[in-house]
Amino acid sequence: MFENILNAVAAGLIIGCIYGLMCIGLGLIFGIMKVVNFAQGELLMLGMYVSLYLVAGFTAIGFLGPYAAPFVAALIAGPVLFGGGALLHRFVLRHVSGLSTASRQDEGGFGQLIVTLGISLILQNGGLILFGSTPESVLTPLSASAFILGPFPTGALLFLNKAQVFAAVVAIVVAVVLWLVMERTTLGKALRAAADNPVAATYMGIDVDRAYRIAFGLGAAITAIAGGLMATYLSFTPFVGLDYVIIMYSGVVLGGMGSILGAFWGGLLVGFVQQASTLVLPPQLQNAAIFVVFLLIVGLRPQGLFGRSAERA
Amino acid sequence: MTATIGRRSTLALGGAAALAGAATAKAETPNEVEIAMLVPLSGPWAEQGILERLGAEMAVDDVNKAGGIKSLGGAKLKLLVFDAGTSAETAKDAAQRMVAQHPKLVGGMGCWLSTFTLAATEVTERADLPWLTLSYSDAITDRGFKYVFQTSPTANTQAEQIVPFLMKLAQDATHKRPTKVAIVGDNTAASVSFLKPIKSHILKQEKLTAVVDEIYTPPLSNAGPLVQPVRAARPDLVLLLSTSSGDDKMLADTFSEYGMPGSKLPLIGNGGHWAVPELLKNAGANILQDIMIGLANWPGKDLNALSARYIKRTGNPWFGHNEIFAYSHVQILAWALNKAGVANRKKVADEIRSMNVTDGPAVYFPGRHLQFDSKGRRVGAELVIVQWQNGRPVTVFPENMAVSKAIWPT
Repeated sequence: MFENILNAVAAGLIIGCIYGLMCIGLGLIFGIMKVVNFAQGELLMLGMYVSLYLVAGFTAIGFLGPYAAPFVAALIAGPVLFGGGALLHRFVLRHVSGLSTASRQDEGGFGQLIVTLGISLILQNGGLILFGSTPESVLTPLSASAFILGPFPTGALLFLNKAQVFAAVVAIVVAVVLWLVMERTTLGKALRAAADNPVAATYMGIDVDRAYRIAFGLGAAITAIAGGLMATYLSFTPFVGLDYVIIMYSGVVLGGMGSILGAFWGGLLVGFVQQASTLVLPPQLQNAAIFVVFLLIVGLRPQGLFGRSAERA
Repeated sequence: MTATIGRRSTLALGGAAALAGAATAKAETPNEVEIAMLVPLSGPWAEQGILERLGAEMAVDDVNKAGGIKSLGGAKLKLLVFDAGTSAETAKDAAQRMVAQHPKLVGGMGCWLSTFTLAATEVTERADLPWLTLSYSDAITDRGFKYVFQTSPTANTQAEQIVPFLMKLAQDATHKRPTKVAIVGDNTAASVSFLKPIKSHILKQEKLTAVVDEIYTPPLSNAGPLVQPVRAARPDLVLLLSTSSGDDKMLADTFSEYGMPGSKLPLIGNGGHWAVPELLKNAGANILQDIMIGLANWPGKDLNALSARYIKRTGNPWFGHNEIFAYSHVQILAWALNKAGVANRKKVADEIRSMNVTDGPAVYFPGRHLQFDSKGRRVGAELVIVQWQNGRPVTVFPENMAVSKAIWPT
């Protein structure tokens, strides 16, 4: 039993770190732009496919070998999706978000809902046409091997899936780098100013439209990196985003809408609950367990774990 | 006032009636006869649907090249393919569109996943459309439907057949009868049906104890919490009742990660998704080595020529479970149309219901006999077992179809 507990807790923390990164992308977009992006799952999916094509399709970085190439590809997926996200904002989302909608009664909320849902459908079905429906995965021997630690008391062994461990480490590094960018750089200050008060930020000489474009690009890039990391240990199709978008929203709401750091901790908590719940509940209730915890936290602390008091984007 | 009908009028009426009759006959002997395929072409089960489509397309071409439906003046078969999507709701919606927009359909097949088939056949049954399915769940033909024909051995039947085979195989290889089994499966309809008899009486009958019984909701995000208890319980064999190749890959990877690959611990999968080319591509031959799979059909040695033609036509590495089912379903519909002599869905259903053949479409099934009972289940349907050996699934049971000996990992 101790071995079961040890492994479930470790799996929860590792998967949680990857979910945390995934949630940061959505948290960033909501925190700065106040856009509820229903296409975030598809950005995750695109990250997976960019990573796949970099490793296998065009063998662009195949020379790095099956151990390093998948993780380098996941990191490259970030800049690729940053460009895609920025373009998406420039030509589509800016019309339903930002200063241009500030005077509207719904502040562009209804438009954002329809537009992001539309983008989600277009990306899903476009992905189906472009990539096909055959499940794919970024092949690495790491997905079927483990770091075995122990024996611990009672002879328990701890199995850490190598692909997931490396993915979690990369996720933490990316999250820390992003946090430093947000806290310590002029760009971060500009983004936070645009989030806090776009009108005041404009008076201070910040190009709010550009800040939002960067925020959307960054949100897409972060989630795409998380997608590329997840592609090292699971199979995916153009519809994979549907399985994770709910998890992303749970993580962001749990962490506190508007808090980037909170989104990471929210994602971590969701991953932990999902994996560790199997110790006390049947595995088929894994996702139900997430929502029980979700309802509990939202009931007790409606602003989420970190809310606005801990950090403002 | 009385009206009289003269000789000319009688002749004219007779002529009109004859013309009308001819027109009716023409309407029922069309140039093309539409049959439907409703399978998942998007989402996690898409590859299964694609393989079914490839099998069906080849069968349609074969029927048409051989002269079409002869009793209908050589009418050609036309295959209409519909996407069942990703859930029972999308499958049912697609079925509704299919029957509403294509009233000339005379029969169909699908939907691969039992959960989808259960939903879609609610629609096809109301439309009196004969529907052939390879789906495993017993519930599909337990509802008293008249137009659904299940060509696979049901999950219940498969469970009854596979466990005794595994026990014998283990005993022959190790001189010891397994006593502990681990069950890891999802909660879709086919898996639930498969497990029902196992839990209710087969385990007791075979003196087996289920030391692990982990049921999950697909898709898997991480198989560690399912596999870890298996390692702790040290069973003699593991039944893996997943339903998508994505979950299959993750389970196979995780068993390997925990030092229990199929070559060390007997891993027994169930269903065609365990023997598709995409799984080999995504998981790799060494991870899959020695995993055994219980299946409702697989081409035997006697269908080597058909297999070779399929491989040449599609470039796929083998002619497997989904493809042969789709191929045989088209052949059954063609046979029934030929017998009926009319493109009428009720007549086609009547012919399928009363068929009892050992040739024609029967040659595509183990046992080479094709007959349906009152529930619409194939009489005497037997299980086939294949095993991954050196990067290919090869038939190891029944003996008359086996191309290789089964390996029991020790």
